[in-house]
Amino acid sequence: MTVFDIAIVGGGPAGLAAAERTLAAGLSTCVIDEQQRPGGQILRQPPSAFSVPGWLTGAPYRKGRALLANVSDDAKLHWLGGQSVLGITPDPAGETGFTLALSGTMGGVSEVRAKRVLVAGGCYDMPVALPGWTLPGVMSAGAVQTLVKAQQVLPGQRIVLFGTHPLMIVLAKQIIEAGGQVEAVCFAQSLKRMAKAALAHLPRAIATPAPLIAAAGGMAALRRAGVRIRYAAPVLRCEGEGQGGVEQVVIAGPNGEEALACDLAAMCYGFLPQADLVRQAGAGVRWSRPAGGWEAVHDGAMRSTVPGLYVAGETTGVAGSDAAMAEGAIAGLAIAQDAGALNEREAATAMRGPRSARKAMQGFIGLLRAVADPCPWLPAASAETLLCRCEDIAAGAVDRAIADALSVGPSFGASAIKLRCRAGMGLCQGRSCEHALVRRIAAARGCGEGEVEGFRPRFPARPLAIADLLEDAG
Amino acid sequence: MRRIEQGVTRPEPIAVEIDGASVMVHPGETVAVALLASASRRFRDDRSGAARGMFCNMGTCSECTVWAALGTSPWRRLRGCLMPVEPGLRISTREPEAMP
Amino acid sequence: MMTGETSNFDILIVGGGLVGCASAWHLARLGLKVLVAERGHLNAGASGQNAGSLHFQIERRFLEQGEKAAADGARIVTLNRLAIEEWRGIEDMLSRPLDVAMHGGLMVAETEEQMALLAFKVARENELGLSTQVLDRAQLRERAPSLSPHLAGAAWLAEEGHANPRILVDAFAEGAGEQGAQIRTGIALTALSMARDGTYRAVLSGPDGEMRVRTPRVLLASGHWVPRLAGMLGLNVPLYAAPLMMSVTDRTEPVLPYLIQHVGARLSMKQTEDGNLLIGGGWPSRLARRADGTPDLDRPATVEMKNLRANLAVAARVMPGLAQRSLLRTWTGTTCISADQLPIVGEIPAAPGLFVAAGGSLFTLGPVLARLLARTIVEGSPPEELSMFLPRRFAHLDAFAVLP
Repeated sequence: MTVFDIAIVGGGPAGLAAAERTLAAGLSTCVIDEQQRPGGQILRQPPSAFSVPGWLTGAPYRKGRALLANVSDDAKLHWLGGQSVLGITPDPAGETGFTLALSGTMGGVSEVRAKRVLVAGGCYDMPVALPGWTLPGVMSAGAVQTLVKAQQVLPGQRIVLFGTHPLMIVLAKQIIEAGGQVEAVCFAQSLKRMAKAALAHLPRAIATPAPLIAAAGGMAALRRAGVRIRYAAPVLRCEGEGQGGVEQVVIAGPNGEEALACDLAAMCYGFLPQADLVRQAGAGVRWSRPAGGWEAVHDGAMRSTVPGLYVAGETTGVAGSDAAMAEGAIAGLAIAQDAGALNEREAATAMRGPRSARKAMQGFIGLLRAVADPCPWLPAASAETLLCRCEDIAAGAVDRAIADALSVGPSFGASAIKLRCRAGMGLCQGRSCEHALVRRIAAARGCGEGEVEGFRPRFPARPLAIADLLEDAG
Repeated sequence: MRRIEQGVTRPEPIAVEIDGASVMVHPGETVAVALLASASRRFRDDRSGAARGMFCNMGTCSECTVWAALGTSPWRRLRGCLMPVEPGLRISTREPEAMP
Repeated sequence: MMTGETSNFDILIVGGGLVGCASAWHLARLGLKVLVAERGHLNAGASGQNAGSLHFQIERRFLEQGEKAAADGARIVTLNRLAIEEWRGIEDMLSRPLDVAMHGGLMVAETEEQMALLAFKVARENELGLSTQVLDRAQLRERAPSLSPHLAGAAWLAEEGHANPRILVDAFAEGAGEQGAQIRTGIALTALSMARDGTYRAVLSGPDGEMRVRTPRVLLASGHWVPRLAGMLGLNVPLYAAPLMMSVTDRTEPVLPYLIQHVGARLSMKQTEDGNLLIGGGWPSRLARRADGTPDLDRPATVEMKNLRANLAVAARVMPGLAQRSLLRTWTGTTCISADQLPIVGEIPAAPGLFVAAGGSLFTLGPVLARLLARTIVEGSPPEELSMFLPRRFAHLDAFAVLP
């Protein structure tokens, strides 16, 4: 079996930026991604069989597209698309490196070996449980966005966006440009509150003005298209009769409850880091702010706490694609240095650029986190609202399990609740409900979320058709 | 669901089978889009019998998991949002009775 | 609690797993002042990681090691019969549901050769009072239509089944606590010695400091860590770590009401109340290793892909419908086996007052062994049922031990 110098998990901005550096340093590099083509979620490409000349021409995508083109064209890149990483196992003592187990999106199980591994797994939309959120037609904002920009379809005719994250502005603009209709964009927080949070961070954020200009441009475009942007309009529930799916969302308006008719409701409360592979490999994580989830901890050169395992991009905390590219470049250089392809001085010199770029973004990242912070605005789940979508476990059952566990002692984590009520035992391996469990446990125990032990991520990181394992058993 | 027509050129459509019915899709589209194109937003039923749709479209939530079979291969449960359609693909939103 | 002072207990139990907590439950009820010290969380080791099988037929592992082992294995049947009674009454005893399902178990055979082995096994079991029964191909087909029509037959035992390993230990621990036992988690045994008067001195260390204990009795119920702890007294307990893997599939309709084992291959398979299929049977995982290559028992073992594939291949051969299921999780857990494959339960002859209880199959046998062990401790001598499991069969290993 080939042993790669470096296996990169995730072909988004961080992974590609790292690959650019490891390829330049002459390291054999493979990039593994669940999508067929590189780009990650932010640059999710249309299928290669499609022709979409006007794809993502906007200024915010320019830098990423240049990176994508550069790395995609590199003949030395070993691209493993349409592959899910199931687990990363350190090789037995005496050998350095890792074995990665992979499964194909259409079946088949294989293994890849690499001396070093970078996890640049990106992030995912925070799933927020509110009444009616399991109706067909209620999706994450990321789902709608990737359907529009990659699959080139509009999943609804009349769309309501709701939540706390300004990405809704970008998405609404993309929907309109694609010929769709946005009924309303509903921010749970007030405009005043957003402005106050923004102003506090503006002096530092102005160091990187591009995203601020893009946001202003998006607002203007929505105004021109007649899209209604509502502030202080938290969505209370989604409603729909029978099996047809969502028909309206109900918001708490200035004059009481108000129903907005729609056939698609997309939630946008922020993003959680994808770190289950990092956790499965035993590397350190901490609770991520503001939206929650677990982010990988690392040193100044993106080394995780497990020797030979590196982390970059949203896996280390959600900060946007520019930050991810900078972190990916740093990680790629550190990998090249640790592999002996760069000496310490060469690496340090080369890291200077991405490090200062990363630092300059901190102001805008802080601004966005403050403006978008979902925590004060998370809608209330009713006792019947399903927290665990896979096993159909309602908030009431979870809270009962928490109360039972609390009666035994205070030092329990998410796994104890999972064992008591089955929340997190299903197909998604707990990715959808873990953050909600951790928040509820922290509230009940009266401690910070970071003190609550999360689920123990297990092999396989994605569910695996047993037929795949049998076929290859030989 | 509506396909964006302006500025997009797709290959000629092919037929796939969803719960026994034929649905026309374009190569490159995912099984999730094929299901959305079939005029129902239902991907599965939950334990109470309620219809469920897709949620994240990035392989994380598993809400789009359906049964798929190609040729004589056994039925597999796979995430529809990650799987490109292929000629002859059969999809089932309910557990198939037996081997295909 | 964490003071420099020394606390006195009638017994210190090291290990908050099934054997430790069940022994604490019995001993506290019998009036002893009990301390359970657990290094991590309760039920964090093999007690909570095993797949919860209640298996009472002679295990395949005894049958594959020749006639001598098979004869020894047969003697465990007397204990298995007691275990059946124990499990029948356990939910009443602990006054709560424990997902105990005893709907029967099948040990299947694929070949005529394996059928002959089953016949030999069933004859031995029947002699010893276990009412196993051979089913031929047609009878098996009728009883378990979801299994492969290619199976040659099976041995049937009506009392086999499964229970929920994730809630049993909590139940014993809570009950023991109500009876006055102290159960402390997050404290590790860091020193153990015997004083001149024959009592034991233990130091337990946790994040809040140290706790000193004086006690006439110590029970080591810490699974594969027992040899390391006994080593603190210079004693040898021949137990060896056995890292295993268990897997669980997605939910499906009820298709398998029975515990399934295989006479010629490593397999255990059953369906939980919620519909998931649990698959194991003794397939090894890979122990973590330190930089110097020695096993590191303090870190979790990792999944061994080729064994996972082989485990699922056997399972799918027995139940073809498994091919349509998805694998949700595979986890590892480390149990231990003794030098002669039988559990080691009772007092160490070289160290009066020191008891051990470990050595495999201790989910099925744990509750009954805890009961017998508690009797041993309170009555001062072991009941006849424990005779073949006593540590004295390995007394020669401690011939050179130095104790006060």
